Amino acid sequence: MINFSNVSLIYPTSTKTILEDLSFSIVEGELVLVIGSTGTGKTSLLQLINGLVPHHTGGILAGDITVDGISTKLVRPGELAHLVGIVGQNPSQGFVTDTVEEELAFGMEALNLAPDLMRKRVEEILDLLALAHLRNRAISTLSGGEQQRVAIGSALVMHPKVLVLDEPTSALDPIAAEEVLSILHRLVHDLSLTVVIAEHRLERVIGFADRIIHIAGDGNAKIDLPETILKNADIAPPIVHLARALGLSDVGLSVRDVRRMTETIRDTGKDVENVLHTLGDERILAKDLTIKYGSQVVLKSLNVSVRAGEIVALMGRNGAGKSSLLTALVGLQKPTSGTSHICGKASNDLKGSVRREAVGFIPQEPSDLLYGQSVVGECSQGDKDNQIATGTTFALLQRIVPSISPNTHPRDLSEGQRLALALSIVLSAQPQVLILDEPTRGLDYQSKALLIGLLQNYSRELGRCVLIATHDVELVAELADRVIFLADGEIVADGPTLDILLSSPAFAPQVAKVMSPRRWLTVADVIAAMES
Amino acid sequence: MKSLHPLTWWIWSLLLIGAVIATNSAWVAGLAIAVAAISVHQFAEDAPWAKSFWFSLRLGAIILFIRTVVGVLIGVPIPGTKLFTVPILPLPSWIAGIRIGGVVTQERLLSSIHEGLIIIAVICLFGAAVSLTSPHKLLRVTPVVIYEFGVATVIATSALPQLVQSVARIRRARTLRGDEKPSWRSIAIPLLEDSLSRSLELAAAMDSRGYGVSRKRSRYRPIPWRQIDSVVVASALCVLSLALVLR
Repeated sequence: MINFSNVSLIYPTSTKTILEDLSFSIVEGELVLVIGSTGTGKTSLLQLINGLVPHHTGGILAGDITVDGISTKLVRPGELAHLVGIVGQNPSQGFVTDTVEEELAFGMEALNLAPDLMRKRVEEILDLLALAHLRNRAISTLSGGEQQRVAIGSALVMHPKVLVLDEPTSALDPIAAEEVLSILHRLVHDLSLTVVIAEHRLERVIGFADRIIHIAGDGNAKIDLPETILKNADIAPPIVHLARALGLSDVGLSVRDVRRMTETIRDTGKDVENVLHTLGDERILAKDLTIKYGSQVVLKSLNVSVRAGEIVALMGRNGAGKSSLLTALVGLQKPTSGTSHICGKASNDLKGSVRREAVGFIPQEPSDLLYGQSVVGECSQGDKDNQIATGTTFALLQRIVPSISPNTHPRDLSEGQRLALALSIVLSAQPQVLILDEPTRGLDYQSKALLIGLLQNYSRELGRCVLIATHDVELVAELADRVIFLADGEIVADGPTLDILLSSPAFAPQVAKVMSPRRWLTVADVIAAMES
Repeated sequence: MKSLHPLTWWIWSLLLIGAVIATNSAWVAGLAIAVAAISVHQFAEDAPWAKSFWFSLRLGAIILFIRTVVGVLIGVPIPGTKLFTVPILPLPSWIAGIRIGGVVTQERLLSSIHEGLIIIAVICLFGAAVSLTSPHKLLRVTPVVIYEFGVATVIATSALPQLVQSVARIRRARTLRGDEKPSWRSIAIPLLEDSLSRSLELAAAMDSRGYGVSRKRSRYRPIPWRQIDSVVVASALCVLSLALVLR
């Protein structure tokens, strides 16, 4: 179905080859996963399939790519629209119309299909993706998961033979991600659709993949069965790390397989005692916090308190009110009623340096915080703002990402590097409270491990408090002491990470699923249980 | 109210722009701004692009200010009632005919404001059309024959509302760095990058979904031209012809 022969790709402005002499073929009805660290060219590989690279982006392409026998070099991406459906990283930025139905019809209108055929296909897709009740809704009012389904639907409605998805679950909560992936699984098995997915969160997709393409970053890429690739790859889901740590002979990819291999461990392992940290006084305190947009109630009189030295995760489904709560806590949004205090001061009154020293906030798009012309420029601005010795911020940044070059423009950094830059600027003020909104979106495992280490240090050694809103259960399992679970603007659960994550299978991390009913969340927990 | 045909407000605003330019009167210009404001207030849906009008109004005010200052200070003096005198800036002899500073008369001030008002009216009417029409619907009625034009229109008309959204987002983020009064430059750079990358992404999405491949385009649910559309256009036509007659 898809055939790459001796493909090499290089962008004119860069000296690094993205891909070098890559040859493989993907057969009909196969689900192939593309993995690699951030900035290694996963998106480029995906866009090669429908010709957006190089037709839209520029770049020099050698070798040949054919999809169903058509060479992408010879036709414009639009002429492959009936053959290849592509869903980008940010579906919300690719919507061309206002309502769900119109969006689904857009591609077919462009190809001049007959109206009655369009009607039939739109109905079909609305049913297939469970979108029927949303058909007349404005797309901008949909939740992230619904938008993702609309984007997939508008690609599928063209009856393509190939579906290409770039990080389809990165913005979704675990349940919505599960829904999207099971739909894809069904399409592959029922309709023999060929699917190519790039994804960072392997734990979510690994069970569905037939083969994996691993892009190393130096131009080389390997394609092979998941077991073979993951045995040696540096990028691996927790379940593989578990198998490696336990010295199992095989790498199991599903919870079921690994459960069978670890029966003795579940029987013999000892329970680890929970280490309780001593907590300081209350740093974040919100009382009866209510937020209304028009008639819609987003938060219903919440009470939240976070103490010094504590790391708290804020979880909940898309649209549960997590971001609203964070913006109210940092004082960007005036609550309709109720109060919010940080370090004893009302959040809305925080200004200037008092604000910088009280609370640091990393928004969903860390680049919003950046406006300098170079990394070093940003850092020296941070030094100046906080009246600290020149070079302190940059030194902090170099501790997180040693390889960063000081003269790069912030826009040219990879996702992980940009987060690190924003984080070091915020941390240079040594705020009492650090709040992060979805920090692991688009981060690879390596950057995530760095982030975890950094936040742990910050909270434990300096006794500061950290609040993170996230969908990433693995991050929560590794990092958080306590979880606050939001649903529909209300707190439905608030307690130690272990209790909350184990109480619902949808939000349980992979290791916990393998080791159930034992109460271990991470690979480190299991190892500790074995040793004690 | 059900939304009008996407072309209605554009035709309406173009006709009114014609009327404002034809009459060349500050009163008509002021009236046009008021009518645009009332229409937007009444009919705009709760959508991101609806804020574009208020943005264009602010933009207009800045233009009026600059236009007035420049108009008063530079140029040929107009005789009349003397308001105040600004010292004349000595200029080299080879640009004779241009004078910076000098006597500021009431007539000169008024003529500057008058021209400025007409410019604002044009910008506001354009902003009103953007506010009142969904850029996405506009694309659906644009003939494919002018494919490049279609892509450009969508990107241009969705750029203004996106700009408005992005400014708000960046401002908020900046407040978080303890920077209550961010400089224009510090907002403009991320803003430009943001809107450029969004526009490129939108263009790529349209391209990969086959926009412009077929010269003919079918309609899933044709947007009807209803009586109310004719009424709106007719009213604007009346204003334009009245303006042309009374001129």
